[in-house]
Amino acid sequence: MKWWNVLRDRLRALRGRETVINDIDREMRSHLELQIEENIRAGMPAGEARERALRSFGNVNRAVDAAYDVKGGGLFETLTQDIRYGARMLAKHKAFTSIAVLTLALGIGANTAIFSVVNELLLRPLPYRDADRVVMLWEVTPEGRHQNTTSRANFRRWREQSTSYQQLAAFSDQRFNLTGIGEPEELSVQMATPELFKVLGVDPLLGRTFVPDDADSPVAVLSYGLWQRRFGGQQSVVGQPITLNDEKYTVIGVMPPNFQFHIKQRSGTGRPAELWTILPMPNGPGANERGRFLSTVARLKDGVTVDHAAAELRTIHARLSDEVPQFNKNFTAEVLPLREQFFGNVRRPLWLMLGAVGFVLLIACANVANLLLSLASAREKEIAVRAALGARRIRIVRQLLTESLLLALLGSVLGLAFAWLGIKALMMIIPKDLVSLQSVGLNVTVLLWTLGVSVLTGIIFGLAPALHVSRLNLNDSLKEGGKSESSQASGSRRLRSALVVSEIALAVVLLASAGLLIKSFIRLQQVDRGFDTDNVLTMVIRVPDARFREDAQFVNFFSQVLERVRHLPTVRSAGIVNYLPLYGGLGSATGFKILGRPEPPPGQGPVTDVRVADSGYFQSMGIHLLHGRNFSDAEQREPRHVILINEALARAYFAEEDPIGHRLDVAMFEKPTPAEIIGVVGNVRYDSLIDASPPAVYFPHPDLTYSFMTLVIRTDGEPSAIAPAVQREIRSLEPNQPVSDVRTMNQVMSEWVARSRFNTLLLGLFAGLATLLSAVGIFGVMNYSVALRTREIGLRLAVGAQPRQVLLLILKQGFWLTIVGVVLGLAAAFALTRLLSGLLFGVAAIDVTTFATISLLLVIVSLLACYLPARRAMRIDPLRALRYE
Amino acid sequence: MAKDKADLLQGTLDMLILKSLSLGELHGYGIIQRIRQLSDEMLNVEQGSLYPALYRIEQKGWVSARWDVHETGREAKFYKLTRAGRKQLETQEASWDRLVLAIAKVRQAT
Repeated sequence: MKWWNVLRDRLRALRGRETVINDIDREMRSHLELQIEENIRAGMPAGEARERALRSFGNVNRAVDAAYDVKGGGLFETLTQDIRYGARMLAKHKAFTSIAVLTLALGIGANTAIFSVVNELLLRPLPYRDADRVVMLWEVTPEGRHQNTTSRANFRRWREQSTSYQQLAAFSDQRFNLTGIGEPEELSVQMATPELFKVLGVDPLLGRTFVPDDADSPVAVLSYGLWQRRFGGQQSVVGQPITLNDEKYTVIGVMPPNFQFHIKQRSGTGRPAELWTILPMPNGPGANERGRFLSTVARLKDGVTVDHAAAELRTIHARLSDEVPQFNKNFTAEVLPLREQFFGNVRRPLWLMLGAVGFVLLIACANVANLLLSLASAREKEIAVRAALGARRIRIVRQLLTESLLLALLGSVLGLAFAWLGIKALMMIIPKDLVSLQSVGLNVTVLLWTLGVSVLTGIIFGLAPALHVSRLNLNDSLKEGGKSESSQASGSRRLRSALVVSEIALAVVLLASAGLLIKSFIRLQQVDRGFDTDNVLTMVIRVPDARFREDAQFVNFFSQVLERVRHLPTVRSAGIVNYLPLYGGLGSATGFKILGRPEPPPGQGPVTDVRVADSGYFQSMGIHLLHGRNFSDAEQREPRHVILINEALARAYFAEEDPIGHRLDVAMFEKPTPAEIIGVVGNVRYDSLIDASPPAVYFPHPDLTYSFMTLVIRTDGEPSAIAPAVQREIRSLEPNQPVSDVRTMNQVMSEWVARSRFNTLLLGLFAGLATLLSAVGIFGVMNYSVALRTREIGLRLAVGAQPRQVLLLILKQGFWLTIVGVVLGLAAAFALTRLLSGLLFGVAAIDVTTFATISLLLVIVSLLACYLPARRAMRIDPLRALRYE
Repeated sequence: MAKDKADLLQGTLDMLILKSLSLGELHGYGIIQRIRQLSDEMLNVEQGSLYPALYRIEQKGWVSARWDVHETGREAKFYKLTRAGRKQLETQEASWDRLVLAIAKVRQAT
């Protein structure tokens, strides 16, 4: 068939149905005239000739119609008809339409919002050239800690011995003080080897990035944000000198606005870099082995797989373990694709959320299908009439499906509005470490997804009712007495019950998951973290290394700061520590020896966290001194080689004897420096609330001097109120001294649990939505069922049933539907909550209490939803019900 | 329903229409008349069947149509066989002959 001829005819008919019909009409008429003339020529009188011609022609309209079927608009025309008709129908049933559209919009909106995040984090390419060729290289410690930073010496060996990479770059995030232009400010700086920008494949906006010749030169590349904020976005900044940590640097370039390379988990600053400088890589031996502080990023050569690169790196590292056992014994290495590095830990929660909103959407679909069924029973007669007038079944199904699709599209339009709001809300509660989320929004991919989802939902919720209705028996529906429960009505009731049961089952799965997450979240809050977060203010003070020459000067500066802070009103106590618990990055850890005990072989010695603190820190944080004594004033003025240990270390290595008086050699110094244990303090969860505290030692500041420390201040009343006064005191001591990360300890905690809170909040929201929708669903079904059984109930009442019995009758029906749904849902939950296991804390994936609680909750909710129809049933007037016939 | 019958007849009707047009341009009424004449009044095509078939054939590109004035002075729509139509007619006639032959053979076997 020449389809374009057909298409041409169809489209022509669509544009002007009248013209096409006129043409056909004209032809038929000319045919008739010819016949009449023929008849007259054959000798008939005019009247008879016409009559005979007409009779032989048959039904003119039928002939025109049959011809129009071929020439007319066909599918196009029926489609426009269906749409027009459907729109009229939706406009007529306003209540139905608005409820259905709202329900769908909630489902589609939630789906679109979550999908936009999934799309951004898991599907869209990362903003680096050929980002799938970029990988991270890490060490794995003998204790099994993954993504561990490496040393300069090991990085150099990787670079020399590997063949898998085009280029490798090492970097480390540090904090530098920017001075000399306006307010002094502490910046997050990424120190990197010159290859960094090559590896990432990102070009500068202005000037240039690093070249190999830059190694060891004081050059700096600005982030777009810093350039705008501190340099007014002036082009002339390139070539200009700036002062960082009291040293001169030259600006050589500016990066584009969206450039960011932040490995949050291993960042020493916890913030994306605003400035890049060259990482010095001195060539001397020995010193480069110590200190594992480098992150490594590399670009794979073409054709090299991640697995191959990983195998090669493991081989190299195995060799290192033998060649340099004092530093590398039992260390291994790993290679991670960049996307895995950034989003590996959110992939599962995100897919789970998408699954959860999928469930919500399915429930919404079931609800709308139910609504459509009730509407269909109201339209039974209309549909029967259409069928009687010769509409074929496929035509009726098509009409009903068009209506469903129309509903779905309306729902998706409103849903997009919801999604837009939802994304705004998501951005407010999403954990900040999910990187550059500013670009999450309604882009083309997301719109296509929404369109796809809405068409799919339209078919899902429309098909069952459409097929069901089109199967209706003409006679029964056309008969006036359609009030009694016919066989079709009971079929429809079965379908509706099935829909409600599945809604409840889906809601159970969501509620169970949300319940588990909520329980984990509560457990997480209740963990004995070893410190007291209320009324504590913290801030970081970073003194430029160049400001003082002697360690004693740094120690003195911080004790002066503390002295002043302690005299401020409402301050109860104040102290310092180098790394705050849960601050968002890592502290230091190293090996140690217990003097007087046999030395273990290399690589198998004990390891401890190392922290620097003063006596005021333990007081301010509420960390208990369990045994012995705290640091004395003298010990906090000059090195006396004393340490405090935590309970975990005491338990692990001094189970049999008193640790006090023992001496430890902690490998933080160039030469062995034993220190005497003077006391034992309580365990503190520094790195995570989830893992138990590892052994830890605390040095006083003079013994192990840091140029940066975190101030910890306990106050009476609201701690943040004291912040300006503290900053004033510091400024008066040293005008060029910035402070950063001013946070209360409660804020620190809340940022740490942000991700867990985010998951819990979101899933809780979806579960709530699911419960609400299924309550609406069961209400609808029971309501309809009561309407159908009006006569039966009237009869029961008439023959003496008590209203209470009627109430129970209806409630019982709803109860059984709910129970079946709950049982099915629990079965599904048993199978599915395993997927949550990585997100749970302190609760098993199958938790009887949680499951029982949510089942009970759902039963109560659905009984409440059944109560209204049941009460209506109870109040049926038997007389009126029976007169209905 | 009615559709089955139309389907069954369609192929044959198409061939008859094409055949009647192979002798020259005709209007709808003329086609009916010619089929009747050629079949010795045995085949009487109804208008209700003729026009849908005719339109379908036109969409397939086997005939072309134009409005013109009839010899009696009335206007009518005239149909003319296209080259594709002529080819189609040959194919249909050939397959029709085969069918008749096959049926005849089957019938002789009894």
